[in-house]
Amino acid sequence: MYEVLFWFLTIMAIGCALGVILSRNPVNSVLFLIATFFAISGHYLLLNAQFLAVVNIIVYAGAIMVLFLFVMMLMNLNADVEPQKSRLAQLAGMIAGGVLFLVILAALRTASLSVLDKQSNDIGLIKNLGKVLFTQYVLPFEISSVLFLSAIIGAVVISRKEEVHSTVADGSVNTSDIK
Amino acid sequence: MTQLVYLVPLFPLIGFLINGIFWRKMPKTAGGVIGTLTILASFIVSLGIFFEVKNSGTATMVHLFDFINSGKLSIPFTFQVDALSSLFLLIITGVGFLIHVYSTSYMHEDEGMVKYFAYLNLFIFSMLLLVLGGNYLIMFIGWEGVGLCSYLLIGFWFKNRDYTNAAKKAFVMNRIGDLGFLVGMLLILYTYGTLSYQDFFGQLKGGQVIVSTSTYNWIAICLFIGAMGKSAQIPLYTWLPDAMAGPTPVSALIHAATMVTAGIYMIARSSALYNLAPMAQTLITWIGLATAIVAATIAMKQYDIKKVLAYSTVSQLGFMFLALGVGAYTTAVFHVMTHAFFKALLFLGAGSVIHAMGGEQDLRLMGGLGKKMRITQITFLIGCLAISGIPGFSGFFSKDEILAMAYAHDPILYYLGVFAAMMTAFYMFRLYFLAFTGIFRGTHDQEHHLHESPWAITIPLIILAILSVVGGYVGLPAVISEHHALASYLAPVVANTGEHHMLAGTEWMLMGISVSVSVLMIIVAYVRNKKPAFAPNTGVAKFLENKWYVDELYDAVIVRPIGAISRLLDRFAERAGIDGIVNGVGKLVGWGGDRVRLLQSGQVGFYIFVMVLGIIALFTLGFFWIR
Amino acid sequence: MKAIIAATISGVILMFAGILVKEKKNAVTLAVILLLALLGVNIYEVVSTPAAAPQAFFNNMLRIDRYAVWFNTLLTGCTLLYVLLIGKEIAKVGSHVAEYFALICFILCGLYILSGYNNMLMLFLGIEIISIPQYILAGSDKKNLKSSEASLKYFLMGAFSTGILLMGITLLYGATGSFYITNFTFLQADSLNVLALAGIILVMIALSFKVSAAPFHMWTPDVYDGAPTAFTAFMATVAKAAAFIAFLRLFQVAFGSLSNSWTLVLSVITAATLFVGNITAVFQQSVKRMLAYSSIAQAGFMLFAVISVNAIAWQGIIIYAVAYSVATIGIFAVLLKLKDYTYDGFNGLAQKEPTLAFVATIFLLSLAGIPLTGGFMAKYYVLSAAMQQGHLMWLVIFALLMAAISVYYYFRVIIAMYFKPGNPELNSPVTQTDKFLLILTCAIVLLIGIFPQLFLSV
Repeated sequence: MYEVLFWFLTIMAIGCALGVILSRNPVNSVLFLIATFFAISGHYLLLNAQFLAVVNIIVYAGAIMVLFLFVMMLMNLNADVEPQKSRLAQLAGMIAGGVLFLVILAALRTASLSVLDKQSNDIGLIKNLGKVLFTQYVLPFEISSVLFLSAIIGAVVISRKEEVHSTVADGSVNTSDIK
Repeated sequence: MTQLVYLVPLFPLIGFLINGIFWRKMPKTAGGVIGTLTILASFIVSLGIFFEVKNSGTATMVHLFDFINSGKLSIPFTFQVDALSSLFLLIITGVGFLIHVYSTSYMHEDEGMVKYFAYLNLFIFSMLLLVLGGNYLIMFIGWEGVGLCSYLLIGFWFKNRDYTNAAKKAFVMNRIGDLGFLVGMLLILYTYGTLSYQDFFGQLKGGQVIVSTSTYNWIAICLFIGAMGKSAQIPLYTWLPDAMAGPTPVSALIHAATMVTAGIYMIARSSALYNLAPMAQTLITWIGLATAIVAATIAMKQYDIKKVLAYSTVSQLGFMFLALGVGAYTTAVFHVMTHAFFKALLFLGAGSVIHAMGGEQDLRLMGGLGKKMRITQITFLIGCLAISGIPGFSGFFSKDEILAMAYAHDPILYYLGVFAAMMTAFYMFRLYFLAFTGIFRGTHDQEHHLHESPWAITIPLIILAILSVVGGYVGLPAVISEHHALASYLAPVVANTGEHHMLAGTEWMLMGISVSVSVLMIIVAYVRNKKPAFAPNTGVAKFLENKWYVDELYDAVIVRPIGAISRLLDRFAERAGIDGIVNGVGKLVGWGGDRVRLLQSGQVGFYIFVMVLGIIALFTLGFFWIR
Repeated sequence: MKAIIAATISGVILMFAGILVKEKKNAVTLAVILLLALLGVNIYEVVSTPAAAPQAFFNNMLRIDRYAVWFNTLLTGCTLLYVLLIGKEIAKVGSHVAEYFALICFILCGLYILSGYNNMLMLFLGIEIISIPQYILAGSDKKNLKSSEASLKYFLMGAFSTGILLMGITLLYGATGSFYITNFTFLQADSLNVLALAGIILVMIALSFKVSAAPFHMWTPDVYDGAPTAFTAFMATVAKAAAFIAFLRLFQVAFGSLSNSWTLVLSVITAATLFVGNITAVFQQSVKRMLAYSSIAQAGFMLFAVISVNAIAWQGIIIYAVAYSVATIGIFAVLLKLKDYTYDGFNGLAQKEPTLAFVATIFLLSLAGIPLTGGFMAKYYVLSAAMQQGHLMWLVIFALLMAAISVYYYFRVIIAMYFKPGNPELNSPVTQTDKFLLILTCAIVLLIGIFPQLFLSV
């Protein structure tokens, strides 16, 4: 059962990844990518990392890919307007990709294929994660709120419309640069 | 009294602060009086210190405050009062005071007079810091300070573009030298872990730290590069003649009497080091000699009165380095002293002439000034006699001692030295005869305007003339007197190696040779300049008039290639920046959002491309070079 | 630790003040009051932290010692000086004045973390906390396209470098099994495995990006030039010093014993930084852009402290960070008074505003490293730290050569001010308060140059 699931997910991940780069229509590419993420989440489940699997789906498949799709649709990209890459770029890409492939192959050839000994089954549960997060890693957890606060301020500062009255003041700061 | 040594630099600092802060509001006379009185006060304290040191003969360290304490390293802000520094104190404050007095009259017409005195006071302060410092770091601070003041004062009349260029040139050349000094200093720190003179020389003597001769040589050569810049030696001498752009009293004080001798002070101070570095000594000897000769040949064909004196200064500095190179440190300091007197005198005399001529500096337009300016003429003549080494005048004693020391070291040095001394006599008297005798060649207006200068100018001239005569008697040659006052005064501080014990006959003969060639050249100068004709120079003379084309050479060999390399770099390194400007223009003109977006992303892509290249390069370095 | 909390609270207060305080001037006043309080908290920390051993907080996530709190105190002082000098100009950038100050407080919070972190997670968070507010500050002048461009560029490239940092941290975790920097020390230089070395180099590259070292400096001129000048002054000084203390801490505490495996790489980065910064600065026509390149060059000098694993390096970075920050904030304050940022814009400033020209001269002399100014002492300390290492002589000589070049472009401004005729246009009149603050700044620069011990005595 375990073996079957593993091979099924592996083939699905690789097949969908190929689909991402081979399909002409970008919308299809994105859909393939979502499928890839699902396959990888399945692998996480097999590795007893339940939380990671869920987060992977929520964040990547859910939020980020939906954003991608929105962008694609709003900008109305389809197969016809795909910019044609030059011959040189294609060649360079081929060589670079090929070299990377060779390196990985060479690295794997000598690697020892040992199976990771499974530790306790509940290591990836949210409960354990939460425990660690609120005991050992409580400071980084809390401090990251500062990070988000500044990001929120950033969103406000950048997105809110500027009132008109400040034109005189800031117009003078950069006049010389525009010239 | 020596404990009060901090007062010596303090007075000029106060003068600088008062003049510097209130220079807009203060009346000119007040600025001049404050500037001059502060130096007088310093001079009086210096006198007291000098006599105390003369009686006790010991060095005193005056600790002011802790400067740097980091780890094992500790550099206190300490003044070292000993024979060498107290002698320099006297020269700096004494000659400085006379030149301040002179300036009150000379600069009176100038609107920036108070600012001028502020700079001058700051200069004296820095120079005092330079000679008083108890370690190399404080010397370096003073060293940079005098460089800055020299820059400010050369460019004092900054409305003239040539003058500011001259200031820039002086500053840049000095910085090259300073770099050598700094490296030398760091080498000392690295090898011995101290910068204080006492510790450093103590360790040199004690030999606790075993180092090879080449280390001594490197340290000594690095320090000498610093001296080269400051004291205008080949190849860093070209700034000094250009520095004549400043007001004449500045040329007298900074570019003749004091600042340019800082290099000699430094080497004399480090004599214990140089005695251990034979290669550096040889280098100094030959560079000094070459400078003495080259500068003298150039001086023979200059027509600008100040340029002649400038090249003469370079040449005399060369003589001093010759003395340092052969290990006769006392002699070099002796010549520094006499040179300070007679060269300051000559510059101030030239200033008096320029003043009377309404700013004219070209010798071809002078002549016969002696009739109208008797005091200037006589004092100037004394200066000329002193520098030419005529017996009885101070220059004779010091220059003769240098030549004797050179002879004791290697006769060839002596012959070349005499050759330079011979030219010295020629160009000085050429200057004298062209300016003061014959008929007046300037305009009628100028002739009408000619007059003797006021007392504030003539009195310093007279005092300096007296000093130029008697200044030499502190160091009588061995054949005349057994007691060399200066040598015994400096003996505790300076480690001479070039002691000469030659036969009295040899010494008389050497003196005879140098004096007779000088007299001969004076006669030649008289004959050739009795009725001067100024045909355009050709051949060798033209080569000399153009200063051996050294400026042009530097321009072609150093300045232009560096410019070209940096322009090339600019083209590649700044491509992104130039793109940025192009983009900016494009944005304003086109305002097409799409295009802007494309251009922007292209740029960041390029940046990231460079980053990736850098990452690859660093990884290659990290993995393949180290293992 | 208290300072981190105080900085966060100050940031939050200022954030809410954005809604409540309508008058821009009041926002500036509030920021000054909060920064004064923050400075007070820091001084309290200096007094209360024992001199001997560092204090550990929250499972050793932070290890804060007397040195770190002293560094924080000095840089908080610099920030206060910055707000006093440039606060009026910050208020002119846009309408969210209180928010800008909130971001500055958050950057300070990041600084406090970076001076005391003991865990790679905290390093990452600290670096991000100082970066994200900077992206926003760079783009705060929304009506100016150059500002938006700067922000976007900075963000994109910053994200790239963050990726590299994370990759490096991951590899280091893989090699050592720990995030604690004090646990890395069991790595041995001779048996350093590929993972660890790759991790060290990747982290080095990411931090080099943050301190704008070549060849990862490409963002610096565009961002510093494009960002509103008032914020460039902060980004180039305090924020950069924060990145430097993180860099220094990691490479001294964690990798100090392995120094012979990374010194060469870092010294190449240092040499490249000095070279690119100084040579390119020579050719700039705009003083603001020149200062951007000069900040790259100065970063090259600060890298000397990172390379040298010894006690003087720690002192050197304090002196350098403070001397450089104070002088740079000062020269930017002068620059902000002028309408025209080109060299010609400075022509004749000495005639029109002698005080302004005089203080600018002192700041430039300090940046050039002329003795008796803070800049000289700073260069002296970092270079003597490198001298103690022994085998870095070539780099020190190269740095001195580059310092000589730097004199050229700094003096160009001085020459323009004093020796060229002209009538520079001012943005706003120079008030007595401005003059007083500038002279105070100037006095600090000179104080560092004459009594550097005062700034190290803790």
